[in-house]
Amino acid sequence: MISDTWHLFNKYMTITMRMPLWALFTLIQPLIWLLIFGALFGKFVQTGEQNYVDFMVPGILIMTVLFGSSWSGVSLLREISAGSVDRMLVAPVSRVAIVLSRVMHSAVQVLAQTLIILIVVWVMGSTISMNPINVVLALTVIFLLGVGFAALSNGFAIILQREEPLVMIGNLMTLPLMFFSSALVPTEFMPKWIQLIAMANPISYAVESVRAILTTPIDTMLFFKGFAIMLVFAFATLAWAVNAFKSLRD
Amino acid sequence: MTKLAIEVSKLTKIFSQNNKAIDDLDLKISEGEILSLLGPNGAGKSTTIRVLSTLSGFDEGKVLVDGIDVDTDPETVRQTIGVVAQQTGVDYFMTGRENLMIQGRLYKMKKGDILARITELSKYFELEKSIDRLVSTYSGGMRRKLDIATALIHRPKILYLDEPTLGLDIHSRKLLWKYIEELNRKFGLTILLTTHYLEEADSLSNHVAIINEGKIQIIGTPEELKSSIHGDSVVVSFETAGEKEKAYAEQLKQDGIAKETVWEGNNLHLYVEDGASSIPQIMEQASQHGLQVTTLSLARPTLDDVFLKYTGTSMVDNGEEEVEEWWHQWAGKGGGGNWKEWNEDEDGSGDGQDWKGNEWVNSDGSSKDDAPDADASEWGGNEWVNSDGTTKVDFKETASPATEETSEKQADWKGNEWVNKDGDQKGDWGDSPDWEGNEWVNKEGKPKDDWDADSKSNKS
Repeated sequence: MISDTWHLFNKYMTITMRMPLWALFTLIQPLIWLLIFGALFGKFVQTGEQNYVDFMVPGILIMTVLFGSSWSGVSLLREISAGSVDRMLVAPVSRVAIVLSRVMHSAVQVLAQTLIILIVVWVMGSTISMNPINVVLALTVIFLLGVGFAALSNGFAIILQREEPLVMIGNLMTLPLMFFSSALVPTEFMPKWIQLIAMANPISYAVESVRAILTTPIDTMLFFKGFAIMLVFAFATLAWAVNAFKSLRD
Repeated sequence: MTKLAIEVSKLTKIFSQNNKAIDDLDLKISEGEILSLLGPNGAGKSTTIRVLSTLSGFDEGKVLVDGIDVDTDPETVRQTIGVVAQQTGVDYFMTGRENLMIQGRLYKMKKGDILARITELSKYFELEKSIDRLVSTYSGGMRRKLDIATALIHRPKILYLDEPTLGLDIHSRKLLWKYIEELNRKFGLTILLTTHYLEEADSLSNHVAIINEGKIQIIGTPEELKSSIHGDSVVVSFETAGEKEKAYAEQLKQDGIAKETVWEGNNLHLYVEDGASSIPQIMEQASQHGLQVTTLSLARPTLDDVFLKYTGTSMVDNGEEEVEEWWHQWAGKGGGGNWKEWNEDEDGSGDGQDWKGNEWVNSDGSSKDDAPDADASEWGGNEWVNSDGTTKVDFKETASPATEETSEKQADWKGNEWVNKDGDQKGDWGDSPDWEGNEWVNKEGKPKDDWDADSKSNKS
């Protein structure tokens, strides 16, 4: 299974590296949000001692993960209709590896994107921690979240079997999850009913975990709480997607 | 006794309550033979291939591939088979070599073995020059060849080909037939192929199985199937197929003039002992019934007649629809009225379904117009390509019986160009919708015969 995953992961990376510009284009939207939201809400949102841009950076990193990995299933559907998946399935390849390689590829891609955003905001003067250990820990949470959403997208792709509803679910998944979380505003700033939704939203835990390890004051307990939740989220969604893929045999 | 490569007994696959994709299907294929599954759309051909290749489950029956049960040991079956599905399945943004390499890896082959196999397969399929190019630059025929090479990377004993030549031009199709035939003859590969093309089934297969509504209707060698319809085939066409016409058909059968009658739209297919002597009786009966016969034709039975008898539809009809659709596509891209004649002339068969916007290119792929000053003698390796860059095979290699005469003629033409009646040189075919009065000229500008005349002489 590991060797199959590695070979398929390499295949997807080779294809991505043939058109790296497309991966870079996905960075534009989060950066625009950073500029616009930073300028719009900076003066109104109370974020304690932090400046608003520092507060927002973890949220923007998580947004990049959401936008990057929630569409992974679309390319799976294209591979299915092009016959590439059948070509893999007629070979004695591990079925788990087919899903795992796609999810890993998507997660690694968003990892690279978030790293670039971190460098950009650091150059722009953000005071978030760039301590390598803190950055690696934050990227671990980001990777797990990427795995989780890519797995969800692939799982939905297999169940829905069509691109249109998948895109609809992708849209429904990304923006509401962002706004019903503490990605852009602190929970205290939200009405009570949104606070309740935010508590059940995995995005909130991912954002708070990354914020706890990248912005002062560093809160390792809060980080590990989010890390543990992301670990469970990633494994649960991955198991669900693999199970859905195994039932693909018509 | 020859060992069975594939043994299917009482296979049933139910998609929904009223939809049996495969219905109690029995099929035996001996080692080293080519069997074609011939059937209309929705007959169950592809579903059968999917079951046999472990891609699909089934509800009842038993399927043994190389003696291994596909239901209980699919992993071992996968090592034994190679599958070429209808969609190409190769990755367009990878090179031919990378596609073959990843497939070899998925079969757990060692890197050295895969590399040796790639060399072997690319040589066999004449892909050496393009093996390190992205597949997105390949022509349809090259992609198909790569597809088959990918399915053969792990040296399977059995090869499934699901409509392998669908969408290919006539020449690429015939070239693939050559490879398929050789794979069977030289390397002893057992091949199960599904096809829409009667000619393909007829020329390639040891046995043909006609499948309809999930059942094998009849199986035999192409000759056995054709001779199962004794005598001649007479097709009588009417403007409508009403009660009077139906009564007329019944009467012909009762009188013993026709052994069998099959309706296909407004066409009545009659199978008679001796066509020539039956025609007067057929016409006389028609006039007695007060019927006006639109057309009448007489022929020896073909596989299409066998197909019609067992499925109630004609394969030729499907082909005609494809041609019509194709011409519509072509019409939108421009072209002159002589195109069809040229097409008939080119492939010798007159159907020319897949050719659009062809032009001359020399052996290095540059178009003729790119090298107006090239010496005539350098134009040895000309090729046809269509408007999307699909390369046709070198003219000198055109060896199919239907095109031999034409090819010899065309191979003598070195340094030809298109010019219109005013002597202006033609550019890209697809961008010139208003070309009329085209002519062949050689590089000295000496005109060739009129296009129509040329076409006719070639056909003769």
